[in-house]
Amino acid sequence: MKTKFFFSLFFLAIAVNASSFCGFFVAKAGAKLYNKSSQVILVRDGEQTVVTMSNDFQGDVRDFAMVVPVPVVLKEQDIRVVEPGIFKRLDDHTAPRLAEYYDENPCMPVVAAEYLLNKEVMQRAVPMSVMEDAAVDLGVTIEAQYQIGEYDILILSAKESSGLKTWLNKNNYSIPAQAEEVLDPYIKNDLKFFVVKVNLEEQKNSGFEELRPIQIRYNSSKFMLPIRLGMANAKEMQDLTVYAFTKTGRVECTNYRTVKMPTDREVAEFVEPNFSKFYVDVFNKQYNYQQKRGVFLEYAWDLSASQPVKCDPCPTPPLAMMDLSQTGVDWLQGQNGWGGYSGNLFITRLHVRYDRANFPQDLRFQVTPNREKFQCRYVIRHPATGDFSCEAGEEYLEKVVDRRKKELEEVAILANWDISAYGNYVKPYEKQLKLHNASSETEKNEVLPILPALPPGPPAMLNYVFLLFGLVCLSGISFLLSDFGKAQLRKS
Amino acid sequence: MASISRFFKDARNIQILWLGTFLAYGIFELQWAANLDYYSFVFSGALATQAFFIHQKSLPLHSLKSALITSLGLCLLLKVNHPAWGLLAGSIAIGSKFVLRFQGKHIFNPANFGIVALVLLTNQAWISPGQWGNEVVTFFLIASCGMLITLKVGRWDAGLSFVAVLFACELGRTVLYQGWPMDHLLHTFSSGTLVLFAFFMITDPMTSPNARKARVIWGASLAIASFAPSAYLQLYTAPVWALFGWCLITPLFDKLFVQPKFQWI
Repeated sequence: MKTKFFFSLFFLAIAVNASSFCGFFVAKAGAKLYNKSSQVILVRDGEQTVVTMSNDFQGDVRDFAMVVPVPVVLKEQDIRVVEPGIFKRLDDHTAPRLAEYYDENPCMPVVAAEYLLNKEVMQRAVPMSVMEDAAVDLGVTIEAQYQIGEYDILILSAKESSGLKTWLNKNNYSIPAQAEEVLDPYIKNDLKFFVVKVNLEEQKNSGFEELRPIQIRYNSSKFMLPIRLGMANAKEMQDLTVYAFTKTGRVECTNYRTVKMPTDREVAEFVEPNFSKFYVDVFNKQYNYQQKRGVFLEYAWDLSASQPVKCDPCPTPPLAMMDLSQTGVDWLQGQNGWGGYSGNLFITRLHVRYDRANFPQDLRFQVTPNREKFQCRYVIRHPATGDFSCEAGEEYLEKVVDRRKKELEEVAILANWDISAYGNYVKPYEKQLKLHNASSETEKNEVLPILPALPPGPPAMLNYVFLLFGLVCLSGISFLLSDFGKAQLRKS
Repeated sequence: MASISRFFKDARNIQILWLGTFLAYGIFELQWAANLDYYSFVFSGALATQAFFIHQKSLPLHSLKSALITSLGLCLLLKVNHPAWGLLAGSIAIGSKFVLRFQGKHIFNPANFGIVALVLLTNQAWISPGQWGNEVVTFFLIASCGMLITLKVGRWDAGLSFVAVLFACELGRTVLYQGWPMDHLLHTFSSGTLVLFAFFMITDPMTSPNARKARVIWGASLAIASFAPSAYLQLYTAPVWALFGWCLITPLFDKLFVQPKFQWI
């Protein structure tokens, strides 16, 4: 079958706002706080972790400030700013996708296939703000102070939370009420505080209008994201997308369940113009189904040099050496001028929606040897057009009617959409089928008894029957092996 | 009625039934259906190995039940890259039972040995501590079933002392010292993996000490050995590794606290 692909790259609508994952954005009095969604790149190699934080702050850069707990005092060479485009590049490459296929008309010759690539353009803005000062009396120590790119960075350690809180307040960092309760645990856990503000002058000189992502690198057995500090209040949910790179395989969460998003499902054609909304609804449904506590797998792929297929199908060109060096992956060897590389690499994309009530602990991760590929993909099949009067046409129309009914159901099942409004989705094909039947009846003047057609695809019930059968067999074996069973056998 | 009471007399029957229920829960609720081929490999490997040793050592047929329990344990805890590793996991687990013996008892918990061997030797296997989620229902279901079975074999003390000491350590460190709120702690203890481990794996009558006093101390020390690596080294699968080591000192406990060996029937 000739196919034609169409990709509608989805990005979360909510992701357009400003963000902070493990820090909180702080505003000087009165400024609006954005804290809804964020993206982060994690690179884990042995004990080394590289974290890149997207910076989607929208507003006056003078109002931007960020606090991130880190396990060690970072050195100047461990901090850098990277190109903002890297997040968009990763997002485009790994986002849930819609693939589109065109049927051939069984009664007409084949039309040339066409390959089409379409990307929704995503706008991500950026920014920040700042502060100054030091107060040793409060038990707060400034461990280090750097100026990197457009940012002024301080690394603080504290003896107790009230001192740190006072210090932060004094320096115009307002801390969300919910975040206060974790300052003490973080201090006791020997975490340092990575405090960032914008150096206005440098920002002006940098020529970048938006604030660039900050990347930090450290060695620690802790492989986690401190989401608790960014929780502004109990009910406010925040979305976080994690792109994780490892040498060995998938990254999964150890203290929350990592769940695969539904994938490879055929959905109705009308999903296409609203795919972003559709996916948000699919996500919402899964999120609720998992009792608001899941970590969702949206993409996993082996990008090792030895793998000939770096994506399938590819919504964007495969990630090249220059993209990967921006993420902080440092074990690959660049090859030829085409962005090629040698070495092992695996990417995982996780999506978490967290709030204080359902995520009492920070996110902890582990690297697994799991190299199974996964992509969150939905499929649209466009029926053929034209005349279906040939014999194969009837069979084809029957298939299309069944398929479209199923596609409608899928839309309702996956995204909870009300499908009653889409009655016309199947009707035209049913009508054509009727017309076809009527004409073929008059031709043949007889109707052959036809067996009822089985629904396409493997029936899910069958699995249950097999399992039940298995359980009965197991119980049977256990019974026969028990003394009582043996006695019964002997008797008989 | 008589047949039912007979069925319940052997704790292994209940254990098979309940572990089977958890596996069914995983398959239908937690999307594990894709692993069915792996499960069949595990069962084949374990049952075939057990059958081989039954033939070699003229053991009673009912010992196949132990192989079923080991297989279920492996299916519930171990994840692999290719289903065929299940064959190796099942055979190694059961094989360890017959090869690594000391004073008439096998040294390692077979499922635990299978997991450790595969994770260490193949680099193709792993444990997913977060796979059960943290639903309270799961917690209660697994805990109560675990209790029921361990009460039948009288080894509940090891599991309970393990959980109690681990809870005390976590409470002391995270809530009392670090100041995390209580739900932080409860989240740790509502992990299905932890409870499954505590009540199904460490309460194995064949690899825990024979005397009750010994089991309580053994369980408590195992808890400390599990707590330290997870708290300070972020090794969240620590209990599995700790149990592997602690099985080695079980004979020592048996020597200090003399008590006859457990018999299933």
